[in-house]
Amino acid sequence: MPTEAAVWQALRHVTDPEFPLSIVDLGMVYGVRVVRGRVDVDLTFTSIGCPAIEMLTTDVREAAGAVPGVEAVHVDVVWNPPWTKDRISERGRQVLAMYGVVC
Amino acid sequence: MTGKTQRDPAEQALIDRINQGFMVESEEDMTPGYKKSLLTQLTVQGDTELLSAPAYYLASRDAPNINSRIAVTAIVHDELGHANIAYRIMEDLGVDKQWLIYGRQPHEFKHPYGFDQPLENWAEMVVANGFFDRAGITLLSDVHEHTSYGPLKRALVKVDREEVLHLRHGESWMKRLAKAGGAVKEALQRAVDWMFPMTLEWFGLPDDLKRHSGQLVYRLKGKTNDQLRQTWMAATVPLCEGIGIDVPAHWDESAQTYAIDYPFPCQYDPEAKRWLFDEPLSWDQVFDRWKARGPMNQRYVEMIQGAFGSSVAN
Repeated sequence: MPTEAAVWQALRHVTDPEFPLSIVDLGMVYGVRVVRGRVDVDLTFTSIGCPAIEMLTTDVREAAGAVPGVEAVHVDVVWNPPWTKDRISERGRQVLAMYGVVC
Repeated sequence: MTGKTQRDPAEQALIDRINQGFMVESEEDMTPGYKKSLLTQLTVQGDTELLSAPAYYLASRDAPNINSRIAVTAIVHDELGHANIAYRIMEDLGVDKQWLIYGRQPHEFKHPYGFDQPLENWAEMVVANGFFDRAGITLLSDVHEHTSYGPLKRALVKVDREEVLHLRHGESWMKRLAKAGGAVKEALQRAVDWMFPMTLEWFGLPDDLKRHSGQLVYRLKGKTNDQLRQTWMAATVPLCEGIGIDVPAHWDESAQTYAIDYPFPCQYDPEAKRWLFDEPLSWDQVFDRWKARGPMNQRYVEMIQGAFGSSVAN
């Protein structure tokens, strides 16, 4: 039986397409629920026109699907509450600062 | 005669300083030879970015859904921004940016032959991201690491980050298309069949034929053409092998390099999008093919110049 913690851990390996920073540190994962082998991930994006929606959704499905015991992954794209830069973790801010991104 | 090239003392003095770690920051630091090599490099860089935009834009219409189309149009946006960065640096060195974009004939642009070709389906679009943008990253990350020109080194931080997105987009989709199997995977294989040799050729003359390279002498780049070609294959060959897609190259264990499995270079039939492995060419013949430009050259340049160019005298 997979745990929510194991899925969160797996999602830490899904990185932003440009910066070496996970979608968890970016504050894009709003929720993870596990019921038996089925995983539901609430995922948001930093903008509606984000070019990485397709790519990151695929990556999330693959990362969560690779957790032992997971049989199905459903990615629910959510827009509420809207993502803001306040959701970025302290660690995330440090990584972005290395590339000259101030937030 | 000595075996050593006799250089102008000013040129030699600059080369010596660069070899000791000197970074060139402005035109006053440059010699004529340095400036010429830098402008050549920036022209190729800017033109390559610029001409990728119409190629990718037309292919974005084959995207399977709206989010994928947004991804490609965002990539087009990035590429135009990268062209602007190269041209903007040239502008600081006295080149007219307006002329660069609107004042040249289609055949005068210095982008690779690969961006004279039509991308006619989604498989070709994503292989362009996987192969052509990988070539771009291979070349530009080497420039970023080694260049002696400070303004370019700093500008490339942003460019390199964005190219990573393009590459990931391409490779992620190549894996998906391969996994889908059947006709989808066959279309991917057909795209790879013409685009793999196209990218190998892009890196240019092999080292044993390469004449004196100003870009290496002035440390405008660090790796030779063959080294760059190897770096590209080291990423691309395992990617394709891993998803069950055939490529005409393999790892040669005894030589510890990637080996190309066909006469390189050879003739290309742009209408059939097919490499003629039984028709080897000399590099001079390749340069003639490049100079004659490919089927989409005129249309792509007209798309760029037509966007805002109607008011500018040609």
